[in-house]
Amino acid sequence: MTQAPAEQAAAPSIRTEGLGKRYGRRPIVRDLTFHVSPGEVYALVGPNGAGKTTVIRLVSGLAFPTEGTVTMLGKDPQQHPEVRRRLGAVVEAPAAFYPYLSGRANLRLHARLAGGVADERIEELLELMELGPAADRKVGVYSLGMRQRLGVAGALLTRPDVLILDEPASGMDPLSLHLVHRVLRNAAGRGSAVLLSTHHLDEVAAYCNRVGIMEEGALIDEVDLDRRRDRHRARVDDPQAARSALQAQPWIQEAFLRAGQVIFHLTEPAALPRVAPLLVEHGVGLQELTADVFDLRAYYRERVSAERLKRTGVEIAPEIGRPGTSAGDVPSEERPS
Amino acid sequence: MSALLRMEAGKLFRLSSVRAALVLLLVFPALWAYAPGIFEVYGFFLVSGFQVPALSLLSSMEFLMPLLVAIIAAELVGIEAMHGTLPTVLLRPVTRSSWLLAKLLVLTVLPFLVMAYFLIASLAAGVPYGFDAFVGGTGLGEGGLIGQGTMLPVDAARELVGAYLLAAIALIPVALLSVLATVVTMNAASGALATLAVLIVMQLLVVFPSLEPFLLTRHLSAYTDPVASVGWVVTLIALYSAAFAAAAVVLFERKDF
Repeated sequence: MTQAPAEQAAAPSIRTEGLGKRYGRRPIVRDLTFHVSPGEVYALVGPNGAGKTTVIRLVSGLAFPTEGTVTMLGKDPQQHPEVRRRLGAVVEAPAAFYPYLSGRANLRLHARLAGGVADERIEELLELMELGPAADRKVGVYSLGMRQRLGVAGALLTRPDVLILDEPASGMDPLSLHLVHRVLRNAAGRGSAVLLSTHHLDEVAAYCNRVGIMEEGALIDEVDLDRRRDRHRARVDDPQAARSALQAQPWIQEAFLRAGQVIFHLTEPAALPRVAPLLVEHGVGLQELTADVFDLRAYYRERVSAERLKRTGVEIAPEIGRPGTSAGDVPSEERPS
Repeated sequence: MSALLRMEAGKLFRLSSVRAALVLLLVFPALWAYAPGIFEVYGFFLVSGFQVPALSLLSSMEFLMPLLVAIIAAELVGIEAMHGTLPTVLLRPVTRSSWLLAKLLVLTVLPFLVMAYFLIASLAAGVPYGFDAFVGGTGLGEGGLIGQGTMLPVDAARELVGAYLLAAIALIPVALLSVLATVVTMNAASGALATLAVLIVMQLLVVFPSLEPFLLTRHLSAYTDPVASVGWVVTLIALYSAAFAAAAVVLFERKDF
């Protein structure tokens, strides 16, 4: 990966300000402002037709915004195509390759277009994406999942600072799905900014830092999963006293009540063992202390349903066989106003 | 740019339209060489192998060659949209203009390759008639197929090469027009059809005599029926080509993918 200057490393790798795209009079993307920092995984989620793919194409420089701005590593990708040397992207689902070339030959071709990548890197990526045995087969005979994995391999060729992927796990079996998400998480761990659009809420909830929820071209909500992930829940005999005691501690970022329980967010996970003694010290009986698992899927349904209800007056039908996903199941404290 | 050029040249020979054209251009001259009813229909006999390439050229430049070149050019651009590989390539540090220029350069050379292949195939089809001196003409010079007495092989060859060369030059703007049409539609079939529609309309515009010297289609047969000097023809073709290429690049630069 290209070594970024210190001041650039702190700046967002991707930034949009009031981004908009319309075809004729029809707006596809409206007033979209978000950013993705180095080492961060940002997932765009939303129903089909919400505008996720258009956003991916606008951000990667394939489409031109009609309103607002996009910067990648501080530069407009349209004005400065050289910034794409530090970009890896998959914008088609399934990833598009020349069908008459083998997987390896396609990667070599992309390596040449990228300005040269060592053969060892190509082999490494073929192995990483579990495509070694199929590397010399023509891409035309690849399955959907294999093409997607080859797409991710192509995106990672140059060890990019920015990774942009549209539905990277589309059409994949569970093992491949897990592989792709693991690879993306590792790329973020090495400092890449990762922007992806997806419908796999359960998978991304496990490792994404932030999720942007889109509906009808607009970003209707942004969820900071890091904050949600580090929350804990305490069932106590005196919730008010427990909240007051926790709020007064410098190692507690926030504490609030939900359904008679205290939800709190630690500034650092190592402080968790200090919670029980603190509550005992304040005369609060602790009955249960556990991680507060955030249900992204339920939250997503709640937000999209509410937005759609507001816009059209029609509510989304409840999800079959999945309790806890109706609008009322997301705690009121979690719901944005 | 050299990597792009190599890539595009390599793609050219994988196009189904190129493969079809190679077969067609091999078979087409043989039709003339072995046609049993040629005298009954056209009133002449072939007397030399040099006449086969001339007949092939005369009978193909009106429609077949522009059609083939337009389809190949449209496929070279449109297949990227069909396979979805265009966005993938444009996400690399490759400028849009350099990507399209590579295709335009390859397609500028294409008519020369096609015509060279066609000439060789036509000569091969003419082998049974021999390539000695003969009484008559190639069909491309003074006197047509009747000629002006004995024609030496070197003169016949010179006439053929000159005509094929001029025909190849006249096909360049057809290829570039097809690129422009495909950039507009981002679909190979639509691009080729739009090109043919433009050429047909141009052919109809001969009813305006003052426009005739400026019509691209009028110069497709410049090798045998020049409406202006060779210098004028080449200049006009260069202007058409530059205009089509520039328009294609400008439109491509602003296109959403």
